[in-house]
Amino acid sequence: MPPKEQPTLYSVPKTTVWFAIVSLVLLGSLVWVVYSDYAREWKAWQRKFIQLKVEKAKAELAAVDKKVDQKKLEELEKQHSEALRIFQEHKGEYAKLEKEIARLDMEIGKVRDRGQTLKQFQDSARYFFEKYRAHGDSRAAEYQQKLDSLAPQIEKAKLDQESHEARRDEKQKALDELSAKVRGTQKDIDLALAEKTRIEKKLANVQPTLAKEILNAPMIDFIAPSLRIQQVVLEDLYDDYHFAKVQKVDRCTTCHLGIDQKGFENAPQPFKTHPNPDLFLSPASPHPLEKVGCTVCHGGNGHSVSFIESAHTPRNEEQAKEWEKKYRWHRMEKWENRILPLNHTEASCTKCHKNVVEVPQADKLNKGRKLAETYGCFGCHKVEGFENRWKVGPSLLDVRSKLDKDWITRWLESPKSFRDSTKMPQFFHLENTDSSQDREMSDAAIEGIVAYLAKNSGEVALEKPPVEGNIEHGQKLVKEIGCLGCHTAEGVSVNYFGPELSGMGSKVRADWLYTWLKDPKHYSPSTRMPNLRLSEQEAVDIAAYLLSQHNETFEKQPLPSVKPEVVDKMVMMHLQKNLRHEEARAELAKMSPEAKLEFLGKQSISHQGCFACHDIKGFEDTKPIGTELSDHGRKDVYTLDFGLVHVDHTREAWFFQKLKKPRIFDEGKEKLYYEKLRMPHFGFTDEQAESLVTFLLSLNQEVIPLEMQRRLNLKEEQIETGRLLVSKFNCQGCHTLDGKEGLIRSTFTDLGGAPPILEGEGAKVQEKWLDGFLKQPSAIRPWLTYRMPTFSFDDEQASHLVQYFVNLAHQEVNYKGLVLPETTPQKLEDGKLLFEKFQCVKCHKVDRTSMAMGASFLAPDLTLTKERLKTDWVVNWLKDPQAMQEGTMMPGFFPDGQSPLPDVLGGDVLQQMEAIRDYLYRYAPQPAQNPEPPKPEIPAIVKE
Amino acid sequence: MKKNKVSMMITVLILIFQVALIPSAQAAAITGKIAFEGTAPASPPMAMDADPNCQMMHPDGVSADDVIVNPNGTLKNVFVYVKEGLGDQTFEAPKEPVAFNQQGCQYHPKVFGIQVGQPLEILNSDNTLHNVHAVPTKSTQFNLGMPIQGMKLKKTFTAPEVMVKIKCDVHPWMAAYAGVLKHPFFGVSGDEGTFEIKNLVPGQYVIEAWHEKYGTQTFSVTISSADETKDIAFTFKAS
Repeated sequence: MPPKEQPTLYSVPKTTVWFAIVSLVLLGSLVWVVYSDYAREWKAWQRKFIQLKVEKAKAELAAVDKKVDQKKLEELEKQHSEALRIFQEHKGEYAKLEKEIARLDMEIGKVRDRGQTLKQFQDSARYFFEKYRAHGDSRAAEYQQKLDSLAPQIEKAKLDQESHEARRDEKQKALDELSAKVRGTQKDIDLALAEKTRIEKKLANVQPTLAKEILNAPMIDFIAPSLRIQQVVLEDLYDDYHFAKVQKVDRCTTCHLGIDQKGFENAPQPFKTHPNPDLFLSPASPHPLEKVGCTVCHGGNGHSVSFIESAHTPRNEEQAKEWEKKYRWHRMEKWENRILPLNHTEASCTKCHKNVVEVPQADKLNKGRKLAETYGCFGCHKVEGFENRWKVGPSLLDVRSKLDKDWITRWLESPKSFRDSTKMPQFFHLENTDSSQDREMSDAAIEGIVAYLAKNSGEVALEKPPVEGNIEHGQKLVKEIGCLGCHTAEGVSVNYFGPELSGMGSKVRADWLYTWLKDPKHYSPSTRMPNLRLSEQEAVDIAAYLLSQHNETFEKQPLPSVKPEVVDKMVMMHLQKNLRHEEARAELAKMSPEAKLEFLGKQSISHQGCFACHDIKGFEDTKPIGTELSDHGRKDVYTLDFGLVHVDHTREAWFFQKLKKPRIFDEGKEKLYYEKLRMPHFGFTDEQAESLVTFLLSLNQEVIPLEMQRRLNLKEEQIETGRLLVSKFNCQGCHTLDGKEGLIRSTFTDLGGAPPILEGEGAKVQEKWLDGFLKQPSAIRPWLTYRMPTFSFDDEQASHLVQYFVNLAHQEVNYKGLVLPETTPQKLEDGKLLFEKFQCVKCHKVDRTSMAMGASFLAPDLTLTKERLKTDWVVNWLKDPQAMQEGTMMPGFFPDGQSPLPDVLGGDVLQQMEAIRDYLYRYAPQPAQNPEPPKPEIPAIVKE
Repeated sequence: MKKNKVSMMITVLILIFQVALIPSAQAAAITGKIAFEGTAPASPPMAMDADPNCQMMHPDGVSADDVIVNPNGTLKNVFVYVKEGLGDQTFEAPKEPVAFNQQGCQYHPKVFGIQVGQPLEILNSDNTLHNVHAVPTKSTQFNLGMPIQGMKLKKTFTAPEVMVKIKCDVHPWMAAYAGVLKHPFFGVSGDEGTFEIKNLVPGQYVIEAWHEKYGTQTFSVTISSADETKDIAFTFKAS
């Protein structure tokens, strides 16, 4: 009976087929899983890098191969084979010698053994002999005999050994001679090919091999693959992932493989060498890769090994497009800490370099910071670490004595129409307040401010110019006494530290300017303008010259007419902030037109924040109006109001827009007058704005562990305090100092007439003298037309500056004065002789004859040496003045370390210089023969 | 005696060799005159009263020396040199120094040429302090005090520069100018107002004439044969 077909719910063949299909799909997906896990983008980069390295090594090899002198190599090889042939001929001899040497070595061994045994006997005999002799034992004699008999035997063994050794050496020499030629030629060949062999080895190392491929294969690549993720684990740095701190791990070097290697400077990205390996990455640099990593400076996600997820940021629009096409790049919208665009990387320096006026080598950041300081950003915006900055605008406490209402009105309407270079920004009539209605209101606000300032200003006593000024002489003085170190004028513009000297005739009156020039602090005690100690005539002349310049277009600008109803409307707007409509109406009705204007003025000043830069009465304690910027480098992008403006949604794009067009984000919005954005327009150039963006991105309160920060020691702190003062008072406008060339020096053809270089000043002058000089300067170099002004530094400022100079020169601050080096009467005599022979007084004197030559041919008064100079410095200066101050008129008297007077002090140059020094410190000028005062009198123009 | 004869013969041979070689290779020359047009500016007497030593050396006074017009209507102290046309040729600096004297509180010569690396021998013939302060912009400055009468110092310039001013800070009227060149093809007009640039090979040259007060003028010249002597003329006008 045929088996009965079992009824089944499924068809077996069909099931088998499906099973086969599913297995295949499963297998396929398994393969796919393994493959997708295996084929990471970074592996592709690593393979590319290996290829690059191989190519490079091959190129090197080819280059080296070319360099190898083939002819010479052939010659060497010929010599080598010739040597080998000869050697082969003498092979029998060679073998014989080898045998002989082996035999001799054995002999030597035997003799040496015998000698050592005898020596042991001798030691033992000596021990007993000494012992018995000390105890008076009769056996001493026996051992005495033994010792005596041993001595000649030992001697003989020694001689035997020496003679064997000599013979062995002889044979060895003969042996060496036989093989010398072969070894020598082989060495020559090796030497000729050394470089090539080295590169061949290198190439073999980098070249992919089958073994390497197997180790990199999927599933077994966990053992020891050559392609692997590279990472730096940073012990002291953390990533802040909101609520969790994670140790920083940077895997950037997984793809940026050439970053810390030399020779990839021109390689394609991501393999390029770091552009500044001496400053970053290399182990000897201040920022070694192992300690600092990458993302602490560049930003981005260091944990990621994917191009997109590590949050790369393109340099510009063009690169963005390229990346989108090539890598399907898109911005990581939700990842706030993206890689900083390359033009802003310096922003990261401040994470560790805190409390410094300038970060070394971060030029753009420093520039941005300086701009922020110059334009008074810190007046409105609180920024941690910058609280010690100053108000940048002039004080308006007594403005009535200086300016008239019409000028202030025109100025507020448009500051740049008076002076294009002014730092005063434009507050009114900007793009968001440009409607006729807004203009009317702004005009009313301006009139209000003018009224408030006039009403709330004190008055200072002004002195009338006593005589008529000489315009030409005034112009000459402006060029020659130092105004140009801070002010732009006369076609010279080294900086815009002070206002440009133009159009003054349209701005101020003669009595104010004369009084101001005579003593700026009389009008404004807080001004940074120093006192140039001008004589009456000089002040009058300069005033006459400055007042002769007018800005006629500005003077002709029509004054706005303000409608009383607009003023009423605005006053009501303010009153209604605190009062009900009816109460406000009643209040308004009570006010006189003047009172309304003054009220509106006060409100406007407080709305615009004028007091951030200017001292204004009634606003002594008002809080600044701007947003705090202390952590703006990390500000969440979604909290920035981009409005309806189409720019990239990044911090840097927003900052840039805001700086270039501060009101732009009001575009397309409906806002009331007082709701509108009010940051004023500074007119920054693109370059300035970019530097400021770098600065803003640097404002970052990320916590970096103290041990990773660049902490300052006491001396460095003192230097930084000084640096801030130097920046505040623009010392580097005139003086070369702290690695920066004095700006005004570029305008001098004869540098001998330029303000002195102050590099190393702390090693040159005595602290006490410097302190006094800073407080009350007097002319040291009467031939200079530039005048060191009186800044009226107080005790604290002066001592900060002294510390700054002395620390910069790597010296210890010492107010005690000098300990004069010891000397002898003879040395002083010699010093005097040298002083006279070198004719030092030809230049170093101040009297009537030298004045006749014109002031430019004098040198510092040497009677000052005792109080002014440090003793070591004098010797260094005498050694080579040009090396210490290029262009100086002081000649070297000891060229090439030779003295022109070989008879004095044996011609010893150092001794001679010391003798001159000792004489100088004890030098007193000869009393004048004619009845002139002993202290030389210098005309006022030179010595003030 | 024999030795002497041999060495003499060698010397003679060398001389013949030299004579035979050099002129055949480089015999062309450029000569010329520096004419001056217009009236010579008045030369005010120099005030040397600042240093009595200097004053005593000129009992009859001395007039300013920035413009000297010779009696034959030519201009003295004009530096003439080959500015372009030598290509990449290099010329060894002569070991022979250029003598530079400070005498009577004036520089002698006032205008001169010198090759890069050629020593400048500076002499102070005066019994007073001079400082030679050279203010080149391309070489390093030097400023040497020379307090002793008769003392000599040697210095060199490291880079070509036309002209390098040399001044004395003690005596403001003293000024000299050195034309520092990489080659020996230069001349300075003297009392006759003439100059000569010798030993040139045929070629195209740009010649420049420089004067302290009247600035520079250039002239292009072609030398076609090895024994040619080209005569060129520069004219400076009174300003």
